Amino acid sequence: MSVKEITGTSGSEPAPGFRESAVFTLTAVLLGLVIELFSSGKGIDFPGWPFNLIFLIFFITLIFAVGLLFRSRPFVAWLGGIPLGLSLIVGLALLSLVGGVVPQEPMPPESLAAVFRLNGMFSSWPFALVTLLFLFNLGLSLVWRTIPFRLANLQFMLFHGGFWIALACGLAGATQLQRLAVPIYEGRESNKAYDRKNEQLIALPFSIYLKDFQIEQYVHQFSLYDPQRDRLVETKSKLLPEVRKGVKAEWPGVGSVSVLDYLPHALPGADGVPVAVEGDDGVPFARVRIESGGKVGERWISSGGPKVKPRFVQLGDYFIVMLEGQPKAFRSEVTLIADDGERKTATLEVNKPVDFKGWKLYQASYDEKAGRWSTLSLVEAVRDPWLPAVYVGFFMIMAGNALFFWKGIKKMEEA
Amino acid sequence: MTPVEFPSMALAAVACWSAGSALQIPARRSAIFNAFSWTLLISGTLLLVWFLASYWIALERPPLRTLGETRLWYATFIPVIGFIVEYRYKIRWLKYYCMGLSAVFLGINAMHPDVFQKALMPALQSVWFVPHVVVYLVAYALLAASAVSGLHNVMLNFRNRRSEKGESMSHYLALLGFVLLTFGLIFGALWAKEAWGHYWTWDPKETWAFISWLAYLGYLHLVARKTDPRKLQWYLGLAFFVLLVCWFGVNYLPSAQNSVHSYSG
Ligand code: HEM
Repeated sequence: MSVKEITGTSGSEPAPGFRESAVFTLTAVLLGLVIELFSSGKGIDFPGWPFNLIFLIFFITLIFAVGLLFRSRPFVAWLGGIPLGLSLIVGLALLSLVGGVVPQEPMPPESLAAVFRLNGMFSSWPFALVTLLFLFNLGLSLVWRTIPFRLANLQFMLFHGGFWIALACGLAGATQLQRLAVPIYEGRESNKAYDRKNEQLIALPFSIYLKDFQIEQYVHQFSLYDPQRDRLVETKSKLLPEVRKGVKAEWPGVGSVSVLDYLPHALPGADGVPVAVEGDDGVPFARVRIESGGKVGERWISSGGPKVKPRFVQLGDYFIVMLEGQPKAFRSEVTLIADDGERKTATLEVNKPVDFKGWKLYQASYDEKAGRWSTLSLVEAVRDPWLPAVYVGFFMIMAGNALFFWKGIKKMEEA
Repeated sequence: MTPVEFPSMALAAVACWSAGSALQIPARRSAIFNAFSWTLLISGTLLLVWFLASYWIALERPPLRTLGETRLWYATFIPVIGFIVEYRYKIRWLKYYCMGLSAVFLGINAMHPDVFQKALMPALQSVWFVPHVVVYLVAYALLAASAVSGLHNVMLNFRNRRSEKGESMSHYLALLGFVLLTFGLIFGALWAKEAWGHYWTWDPKETWAFISWLAYLGYLHLVARKTDPRKLQWYLGLAFFVLLVCWFGVNYLPSAQNSVHSYSG
């Protein structure tokens, strides 16, 4: 740092520069709010390609110019100093706090939150201004620590430089980020993608053919449903009982249920008694023995399916129901066909996106009402040209972090 | 091992810690009592480790999905920090706070047992799941210890019995906590990219993680400014409340209704 720190350790009065910094930050926030007020909370529209890159280059040049040419001016030293950095961190934290409490969703335009865009905090003017100043301040301190280069400053450079790059490139690249929803039905092919943010239909440079959509589920469970309070009653053992032959579940004061027989794929026969069937049509049925208040009975229950009604059993004021197992995995077997003729077969699964032609394809969702009978797969196509820059920032932060950890441990040993 | 066995298990752990703590008094003068006391203290923690391991096996998935499950880890980690601090720095009082905090979490879990639920939604089935959550939990445990120690130092200062060793301990706990918080945040971002298509969406949980990270970032820069360490003890004590909001307070905020992280409730 070019200014001598003169804060003592006794410091009952605020350190020099802190009051000015607080006023400065507050002014930026107020200015942002005023802009929102006069533009009826429309928020900031960051320029798209290539103006985002031009803006970024201009901003970096400005930081270097100011940092190197006017380094000895007290004002510039203050602009790149910790007191201002701290006030801006506090400002950022407080704005994030508002954004973390007020739901970030559309609200009536005349509501107070919408007028000042508190419901869209992270694309609002106050947030943008504070972030811009934050980057300026951080940038100056970086320039001073980097030039002249000293190895002792490496950890500082990695930490602060990584954060600068990740934040600046993440924000500048946000206008080029595309997240599109691509619905496809089994046995069909589509290149139509929906941009939900801008409500646009976009043609992808490739189409997706859905060969098969599959869902794996956890075992079905049965449970006691309380219709008056609309909730499931917990068993004595806190287990959600799995429907398997031999399982017994007890609900204190209500009764118990044991599974005598379990058919994972069955359909009701002519007399209503379920019979096991082959193929995908069958639904699970369980024959259960119910004991309640000294009475014993045997019944069939089922979670049902698209063509079969669910069966449940009344038990006093409650119902014994069979619940669908929760989805364990769902995946789409697809063929990707590019406009230039290139083909690729792939399996899309949650947490396993697939790259194709500069896009990343994700298994997003399916027709949840149809559950495991869904023939619709919802794929998300994402393009984010700035991602590598952001990741460089992330890895720099992690490297600086590792150094920091090592240094911290060493100092701790000495302490 | 199922939640049914949990209350007796928790009670046994707390009993070990209480007996071990009581024996710390004669332990000051007798090596045998000292060995006996530490055997009990460590047994309490080993009981919890054993419960966690068998719970993991019974669930057939990492027990890191619900708040109750994370509290269990937390209750296991935090006394360990107290023990390590005593071993390294010969500061004896921190472990009592740690065991006390841990007992509170065990108590909450015993009163509000989780449903025993094997299912793990597809988004959570990832190599990132365990590192991301465990790094965060260790960070929270370290920062809780730094907060407790900060408030203890505040008390000492009121009584004019300032301990610089105590202050440097809360500093280093916070420093290590911050490092892990940073790793947790970035692991989370890298995972989110794989699971949800983008690394940062200002989801309420993410927003609060960012706020708590900023709170400790502010602390480190106040230290870099050579702020009076006695004032910073207050800061460390209070900063932990921000973390608590992030950890489970978020679920009660109006903004959390459409959070992708709400499964953690
Ligand atoms: C507001 C902009 C920022 C400014 C002006 C700034 C400036 C500084 C300065 C001058 C130091 C003192 C370094 C030393 O004493 O050796 C420092 C320390 C530190 N900064 Fe920042 N910083 C800013 C933001 C950040 C951010 C965003 C991060 C995290 C990615 C960060 C992480 C750290 C850490 C971990 C230290 C402690 C380093 C140590 O004690 O060795 N800072 N910062």
